Amino acid sequence: MKKKKMLLSQETMDIDMVRKVEALSGTSVRRCFQCGKCSAGCPMATFMDHPPNRIVRLLQLGQWQRILAGRSIWYCVSCETCSTRCPNQVHLASIMDALRKLSWDQDGPSKESYVQLANRLFLENIRTYGRQYEMRLAAVFNVKSGQFLKDMLLGPKLLSKGKLKVFHQKNKNMAEVEKIFSRIEEMRRKGEAL
Amino acid sequence: MTALRYSYYPGCSLHASASEYDLSTREVFASLGIGLEEIPDWICCGATPAHNVDELLSLSLSAKNLELAEQVPGDMAVACASCFSRLKFAQHILAENETKRKLVEKAIDAPVHLERRVKHLLEILVRDYGLEQLATAVKKPLSDLTVACYYGCLLTRPTDVPNLDCTEAPTIMEQVMEAVGAQTVAWTHRLECCGANFTLSRPPVVQQLSNGVLESAKTAGADCIVVACPLCHGNLDIRQKEIEGVYETSYGLPIFYLTQLVGLALGVPQERLGLDALIVSPQRLLRDKKIN
Repeated sequence: MKKKKMLLSQETMDIDMVRKVEALSGTSVRRCFQCGKCSAGCPMATFMDHPPNRIVRLLQLGQWQRILAGRSIWYCVSCETCSTRCPNQVHLASIMDALRKLSWDQDGPSKESYVQLANRLFLENIRTYGRQYEMRLAAVFNVKSGQFLKDMLLGPKLLSKGKLKVFHQKNKNMAEVEKIFSRIEEMRRKGEAL
Repeated sequence: MTALRYSYYPGCSLHASASEYDLSTREVFASLGIGLEEIPDWICCGATPAHNVDELLSLSLSAKNLELAEQVPGDMAVACASCFSRLKFAQHILAENETKRKLVEKAIDAPVHLERRVKHLLEILVRDYGLEQLATAVKKPLSDLTVACYYGCLLTRPTDVPNLDCTEAPTIMEQVMEAVGAQTVAWTHRLECCGANFTLSRPPVVQQLSNGVLESAKTAGADCIVVACPLCHGNLDIRQKEIEGVYETSYGLPIFYLTQLVGLALGVPQERLGLDALIVSPQRLLRDKKIN
């Protein structure tokens, strides 16, 4: 994020987007009273520019652009500690999911591309094979992220232990799997789903 | 007592990187006389990546699996903590959010089935089979073995979803380990995150978080760690050597799936529990503790 100061104003405030976050996550950001328990227990808070409680505060103020400009949402590991410990039933882990979805829709894979790339390849594998194909997931990730040598020493070891399956059979019900993906795409095109 | 039987959802990892978890689960169930029938054509639950960027897809994949499970009688038995979490999340959200339920029904073009009980192996062993009966079935108690029971994130969190055990102070895994004769330790990191699926995209994060887990277990005096999640296992076992390198230390902690230790106590020969698939070899430990 650039060191540009973002002031709180009508210009940077977007309440519609906050409503989308609330609808997607099924949780209300207004319930948060900033006790900070989420940030205290978050294993990833040290890696983030905005700690979890500040993410909610920024949402309360309609400043979601500022969240998307930062990296916090791509460092959340979905451990559910925040949702568990919140005294006001704010499901912050679900809010993080909603923010990642909206960021993905808005900016595509441009930001924090390694995490997005991993997510996208994971979903592609489901659409193509029905189940995860771990060998392909790791190999394609390394090629597409340009890290050809990443974890290279692990590969042969995992193969010898039978932990990587070189060949992978597609599910028999692939037509049904494809329909789930295409129906969701169609619902989104028609504006029936976020 | 009528014979217990379950519809089995192994999940993707158990058919690949965690095949020893699948193998040992089947052996333990067979050894205890519990029926286990795999759901035909089950699909990936989407795990963390799906709900991270597309909740509707995530819910639809789980709803499809619950529909596929209708082909097999019995409560659903799930071994992987992540699959377990996704299935329970889907049931929870679809039961209370009508808007989302309608969207998912449209996506899978079928009504959602929410009645089937989704159970983790731990609750099947403790609540359905019973600890006393499990203790009776033990042939080789793991009396000299001190284990650190590692729950990680998704077995117990968040409060209202998995309903497996107390969120902040669970004991269900310790109960199983003690029933098969092992000693358990109290330690600080049993509910901390190992870094999970960042193993693909951000290995240094995984090294840092998993190092904390390994260090805590070692400090508490554990001989080994027992897990119920393929991702936790991968991070603690497969990456242990590189973590030792990065942090210039030595742990040498074998990481077992809970069914591997239960299997050993039930007298299942170790070659049928996939112990040779573990990267940190448990052979010296098992010899020292006179197990098997």
